Amino acid sequence: MDEVEKVFIGGLHEKLTEEKVIDESQLDPGFTDEIYKYGGRDVMTCLQCGNCTGVCPISLKIDYKTRNIIKCCQFGLKKFTLGTQWVCATCYRCYEHCPADLNPAEVMIALRHIAVREGLVPPFVRTAAGNLLKYGQSVKPDAETTKIRHELGLETIHSQDSDYHEVIREIQVLIHATKYDKLIGIGEETKL
Amino acid sequence: MVAKENKYTCSDLGQEEIIKAIRENGVERVVVASCSPRLHEPTFRKCIQQAGLNPYLMQMVNIREQCSWVHSHEKEKATEKAEDLVRMGVSKAARLQPLEAREVPVEPSSLVIGGGVAGIQAALDLANMGFKVYLVETQPSIGGKMAQLDKTFPTGDCAICILAPKMVELSRHPNITLLSYSDVEEVKGYIGSYDVKIRKKTRFVHEDKCVGCGLCAEACPVKVDNEFDLGFGQRKAIYVQFPQAVPLKYTIDKEHCLHFKTGKCQLCAKACTNKAIDHKMQDEILTLKVGTIIVATGYEPYVPAKKGIYKYWEYDDVITALELERLLNASGPTGGHLVRPSDGSTPKRVAFIQCVGSRNKKIGNNYCSRVCCMYAIKNAQIIMEHEPDTEIAIYYNDIRAFGKGFEELYHRVREDYRVEFIRGRPAKLRLDPKTKYIKIRAEETLLNRITEREFDLVVLSTGLVPSEGSKKIGKILSLTVSPDGFFMEAHPKLRPVDTAIDGIYLAGCAQSPKDIPDSVAQAKAAASSAAAPMFSKRVAIEPLTALVNEDLCLGCGLCVEICPYGAPELVQGQKGGMKAHVIEALCHGCGTCAASCPQKAIAPFQFTDDQVYSEIESALMETSRKHPAKKKVEEGVS
Repeated sequence: MDEVEKVFIGGLHEKLTEEKVIDESQLDPGFTDEIYKYGGRDVMTCLQCGNCTGVCPISLKIDYKTRNIIKCCQFGLKKFTLGTQWVCATCYRCYEHCPADLNPAEVMIALRHIAVREGLVPPFVRTAAGNLLKYGQSVKPDAETTKIRHELGLETIHSQDSDYHEVIREIQVLIHATKYDKLIGIGEETKL
Repeated sequence: MVAKENKYTCSDLGQEEIIKAIRENGVERVVVASCSPRLHEPTFRKCIQQAGLNPYLMQMVNIREQCSWVHSHEKEKATEKAEDLVRMGVSKAARLQPLEAREVPVEPSSLVIGGGVAGIQAALDLANMGFKVYLVETQPSIGGKMAQLDKTFPTGDCAICILAPKMVELSRHPNITLLSYSDVEEVKGYIGSYDVKIRKKTRFVHEDKCVGCGLCAEACPVKVDNEFDLGFGQRKAIYVQFPQAVPLKYTIDKEHCLHFKTGKCQLCAKACTNKAIDHKMQDEILTLKVGTIIVATGYEPYVPAKKGIYKYWEYDDVITALELERLLNASGPTGGHLVRPSDGSTPKRVAFIQCVGSRNKKIGNNYCSRVCCMYAIKNAQIIMEHEPDTEIAIYYNDIRAFGKGFEELYHRVREDYRVEFIRGRPAKLRLDPKTKYIKIRAEETLLNRITEREFDLVVLSTGLVPSEGSKKIGKILSLTVSPDGFFMEAHPKLRPVDTAIDGIYLAGCAQSPKDIPDSVAQAKAAASSAAAPMFSKRVAIEPLTALVNEDLCLGCGLCVEICPYGAPELVQGQKGGMKAHVIEALCHGCGTCAASCPQKAIAPFQFTDDQVYSEIESALMETSRKHPAKKKVEEGVS
């Protein structure tokens, strides 16, 4: 309401328009090549038909539009896309239906690669990576899971990590050697 | 040796320079390093002929299409390649032989393959110019797909009403022989003299006796789905496709006729007052000689995939556009009343889904079918005129209203009829089990929201694909096809109706999807192109044919077997023994024989072993550019 008043009652601030207009300074011209480099197909083939959004199980539930993200990629709006790609379930339904033979799911994976390299790692990814490092598996029943299980009358899951010490050790060496830990920002926890 | 550089050698000035060099410096061979020979070879041949040289003593080197254009990212290497190509051209030029172009007479008659609107128009135009025309149509009646349509966009003319007069005119034209229900089986020869073998399939009805009264069909006890109505209506086993059929002669469908199944029946023959029906008739084979051929074999509508997302094969109320045309057509199975196929009720909410089978890389149909936007808009208008309270939504990707009057129709439908245009490709169709209505889920991309709407009838705007007939004719005539499967024109801009083969022309949707105005325009263009050699009565033929060296030939006959055009034959040689001999008129100079001959006894002119090996040698020659170290040494010495 305040903003409307500002516009209509004479107090128009330049700031109001400034924020809504996208100009060249916000674009990232090499973005499509970068996506291609990280395994996404050429996003410029997208015709914006919206079939991918329509079949996407995530798009039905939350405000996430596959087509819209591809459009932002085409346009070079990097900062609009990084952050949204993590919700993709990589079910590949969009790929099955895409008439342009683009694979939006692969684009999402490429966007994740790019985001991580820019240091944009959401907490749940860091947690999963930490689990992989510590227990050799990315999904691990934590305190929250245990609590819910108790509420449902289920018993606590007892981990058998100790039986696989050798395997976990191998995973840790690999993670360290490939500098995956540094990339994700969990370097501190992997002192071998 | 004279070397000249010129920006536009094909211009008058550039040609003048070549002529000057020949006259003043006594140049005997000319090498032009420029664009593709397909573009300017004739230009330069004429040019050196003007200067008194044999036109075949000119070698073109393509350093544009096959060099600079394709290697635009590697300039250094491209220049190196251009130098190699020029060196190859020069060494070949030294070995060129003078050749004489042959002239052949042109038969003043034409074969038109396909009796749709394009074929009809081309046949009429040629016949009106005074040439004999044979029109071959595989169906019992001419008319093609246009005869099945209801109205035409953008003017709303009734399709058959404007086509039927042309069909009748064609059947009555003294210069036209209509060969309906016939197939082209074989074509041999070259421009000016094609030998054509045609199978006239038997109708089991004497065409000269049948008057089209229909008594036979009344008597026939067999009912089958009518293909012309795409299975919505029924016809008898003896039938005419539609009331306006030309020729109006009945045909027995052998597959369903009771007589051919049981050996009995013959009710139709008893009913016929003219004794026109004869179940013992056989196919006839006709042979024709024509000077030119026009291919107008048309298209087929795309058939939606069996397990596709639009559920064409699962839901009764999902139909294709051509089925809708039949349902809207006054002479169609419902008399022009639009009904839902599932229960016969009038649909109140109709959705059109665009780009089904077009612009889809997944199924390999990358092209736009050009007519679907407009026919959907036109059909929306017709539905609104029939039932003004219908709600119509058109799910589209891009609306292409590019022709004369198209944009105006688009606006009229939006503004006057309130047809809703939704930008988005539907993702999912779902049948409500109780109401039997179809729910369409799609992202409305301009709204940035996923919506689900309910419809009574869904029409798939199916694209155009090359017809089966086209594929058959393409093989018979050795025509080239574009990646989309349609016939390829000789040049996309400057020779849009010619094929790579002299004397064969294209018209209508056989070349690419197009609407009726464009098909008619192309048919007229093809007719005028075909008329040109027939008017001049003689045409020059390239002398680039294969020649046999009898001394080397062993008479093994491999070339006879392998030649795609049937040009070589085995004859008694002058010095005894069987030797290969090339019938020049049939030879296309393709070189297949030369590549296969174990004795190297056969070779096409301008591509002899001597010439080709000299080119290879110069390509592999070591040059200073290829060896920078050597270059430095050379520079040091100089």
